[in-house]
Amino acid sequence: MNTSQDSDIPASSSQPLLLDVKDLHVHLRIGNQIVRAVDGISLEVRHGECVGIVGESGSGKSTTARAITKLMPNVSLARFSGDLRFDGLDLLAMADRDLRRLRKDSGFSMIFQDPLGYLNPTQRIGKQIGEAVSRDGGLSREQSVWSLLDEVGLPDARNLVRRYPHELSGGMRQRVMIAIALASRPKLLFADEPTTALDATVQLQVLQTLYRVQRERNMAVVIITHDLGVVAELCDRVYVMHSGKVIETAATQDLFARPRHAYSARLIDLSTHLNPTERYA
Amino acid sequence: MVKEQNTTHPAPCIIPFLSILHTGMTRILATRHGTLGVVILIGLACLAVAAPLLAPYHPFEQTPLSLAPPSARYPFGTDNIGRDIFSLILYGSRSSLLVGFGAATAALFVGGAIGIMAGYFRGPTEAVLMRVIEVFQTLPVIMLVLCAVALFGSSFWLLIAAVALAIWPMEARLIYGQFIKLREREFVAAARVADLSTTHIIFREILPNAIQPVIVQVALDASAAILIEAGLGFLGLSDPSMVSWGQLLFVAQDYMDSAWWMSLFPGIAICITVIGLNMFADGLNEIVDPRREIGGLQ
Amino acid sequence: MLRLVAHRALLSVPLLLVIIIVLFSMLRLIPGDPVQALVGDFPVPPAFRLAIEKKYHLNDGFLLQVSSYLLDALRGDFGYSYQSQRPVLDLIVERAPRTILLASVGFAFAIPLGLVLGIVSGATRSARTDKVITTAALVAYAVPTFWLGQLLVMFFALRLGWLPTQGIGPLVSRAHGMSWLLEKARYIALPAAAFAVHEGMRVARIMRASVIDTLSQGYIVTARAKGLSRSEIIRRHVLRNSSLPLVTIAGYAFGSALSGAVLLETVFSWPGLGLLLVESIRFRDNMTVIGVVIFSALAVIVMNLVVDILYAVLDPRIRTQR
Repeated sequence: MNTSQDSDIPASSSQPLLLDVKDLHVHLRIGNQIVRAVDGISLEVRHGECVGIVGESGSGKSTTARAITKLMPNVSLARFSGDLRFDGLDLLAMADRDLRRLRKDSGFSMIFQDPLGYLNPTQRIGKQIGEAVSRDGGLSREQSVWSLLDEVGLPDARNLVRRYPHELSGGMRQRVMIAIALASRPKLLFADEPTTALDATVQLQVLQTLYRVQRERNMAVVIITHDLGVVAELCDRVYVMHSGKVIETAATQDLFARPRHAYSARLIDLSTHLNPTERYA
Repeated sequence: MVKEQNTTHPAPCIIPFLSILHTGMTRILATRHGTLGVVILIGLACLAVAAPLLAPYHPFEQTPLSLAPPSARYPFGTDNIGRDIFSLILYGSRSSLLVGFGAATAALFVGGAIGIMAGYFRGPTEAVLMRVIEVFQTLPVIMLVLCAVALFGSSFWLLIAAVALAIWPMEARLIYGQFIKLREREFVAAARVADLSTTHIIFREILPNAIQPVIVQVALDASAAILIEAGLGFLGLSDPSMVSWGQLLFVAQDYMDSAWWMSLFPGIAICITVIGLNMFADGLNEIVDPRREIGGLQ
Repeated sequence: MLRLVAHRALLSVPLLLVIIIVLFSMLRLIPGDPVQALVGDFPVPPAFRLAIEKKYHLNDGFLLQVSSYLLDALRGDFGYSYQSQRPVLDLIVERAPRTILLASVGFAFAIPLGLVLGIVSGATRSARTDKVITTAALVAYAVPTFWLGQLLVMFFALRLGWLPTQGIGPLVSRAHGMSWLLEKARYIALPAAAFAVHEGMRVARIMRASVIDTLSQGYIVTARAKGLSRSEIIRRHVLRNSSLPLVTIAGYAFGSALSGAVLLETVFSWPGLGLLLVESIRFRDNMTVIGVVIFSALAVIVMNLVVDILYAVLDPRIRTQR
């Protein structure tokens, strides 16, 4: 499943990077302390690649994703600096209007850990997905919504679009979130702990969906998780974070085979043990 | 991200209390609202205490010049029977503050007791008590207070009781909530390996956090009490032996066309007091809710 | 959902009974002559006294008194006001609509005002705007309504002469149609304004808190991730979800209207329920006092029920349960 031929040579170094992050610093002001949530990290994502960012809670992995997509919550920022380039565009200097355009169409999207909290409880599913659909003049919005629901494995679209979030199961909700994220035809999808809040059996289903969707669309995916088991099957490369820094990065196979840091080794031990030879259909 | 642990050591009771006070004061003074509130409150307290010294005339003293507009001699003018309004207002601060805080304290005890009972006994007792509180909150309280005062009279203590009757539900709710939180923490603390530091955890961490909303609520209750008491005075139902700002407005009602100063100054006094209390409460609250540091959507 | 409402409705009945009994007991606990307490500042010749004692079972046990009062109340007989020489219920029915009118007009201004201010201060990016609005609301809320009423009267009615100082209408009115409406509007303007300032700020405060709370929810982040602009997010996600407290406000509005009415009506001599209460207190017409309070309690409990139903209807989470 890993696309790189030889794990020591970066795949297609001539191909332009989709996401190029250099020396990102995100320092938060909490009370009268300054917390260095992200303390100088760099990472790269290529087109169609699947990258994992792993670490325990507090390692700064979620903050990294939120910072790159500029979806930070209302916190006081002591420092937010670095070189963030998406598809060649400078994210940090970008105007609001352009950023929104990126989010609306052919840019990047994000799905979150808590699908119940991140879906509007008073709006029907169909409307929430439809709101994200970028129109290309071909399909009607309704048809686009159905097609998306079908794509994420929720075929009973006609019935589903009229439902409210709390009427769905956790797994279905997460897949709705994926549908919303896909609606804008993103080149890059961030998944922040996509399966952490779900039951074990459902986790598998959602991961399968993510895998399939990534392959079919040739979409880059960045998975943020504390569980290396999730990363093991889906991701080509992994970044290991701790205390706001990247302490190791390697192709997935290499990381599992020869972790260079004791911390990475410990994370591997703690991860859910998925059979490494299993394949997702 | 590493947080530091507090080292605990055995200490007498007074030190945690003083540290609570200290952190409280620094917090309040950190915000503009809070500082203004504290300034106003302290100012009012000084005025109330020093009224006999500051007032140029005795409040009930009737000068021959009635219905006189503000002048150098009578800074706020005189009322219909020639009393100096400035002196009246100074003395009036006493009853307003006394009734205000008296009722708030009474509400704290009564409401607190009920809140703790609801939290302690749980089950059907809890459900019934919460329902009672809920209903009490929605009833038009002024009517209850009026009723009580009308039927039983308006001497000072009855007044406090009547006003407390209007305010206690808020306190009950609050104390109930805090009590529940305390219980849960105690369970957690007990689940850990028991050591001396448990009590100190309670004093150092739980109590300071639990006290803050209570103080906020007491301040808000006092401001509500002062407004209610002013209302009672306005209807002529306050204690006749004491000077009350509301009562001054009651008298002013008949002289709206001839003596605007009779209405303006007592009203301003009430406003400033209530604003001071509310700002004080807001100042404390603002620390709890740092969400507003960067407003709205980013 | 229906089950929930029925449950609350059922709980309300014993509640009402308890309130009536408590209030009636207060009536009996008044110090002094019980007959005088019932009758007020009205002379009581001996024959009259006997009649009263018989009618209200004053010499029989407490239980009998309470039950007879309750039964009477259920039939709509809240006693007789010797001061006004009319049944208490008559007085209430005559005065209540005027209070409702005042409150309605007041709220008609208060709610939009509060909504706008609350949403603006809650959603604005500028902390300064928020602070300005919040402080203004704080000050407006601290102003005692009756004092504001006095100020309005002194300025607009006495000094400028634009509006009448008190009452609900001129003694003799010959206006018809449009001019009648305008005339009525002139009289209601100041009391409604005083009411609206206070209530409007309360609405603003609640809306602001609600908006801030909504903005901190996860689905707002999702909306941002979709690329929606700030105004789109506010329009489509924040407004509806922050408005639920409005229903609460509207429901409990009756209670606050009655509270505010008591004092405002006194300032403006507006002949509503509040003024009735105050007058009855002055004349020691205690039956009327109790009657008005019971009526208010009843109205509030009924309104609370309506609020509960509305909440269930508006929040799909409650609606689709079972």
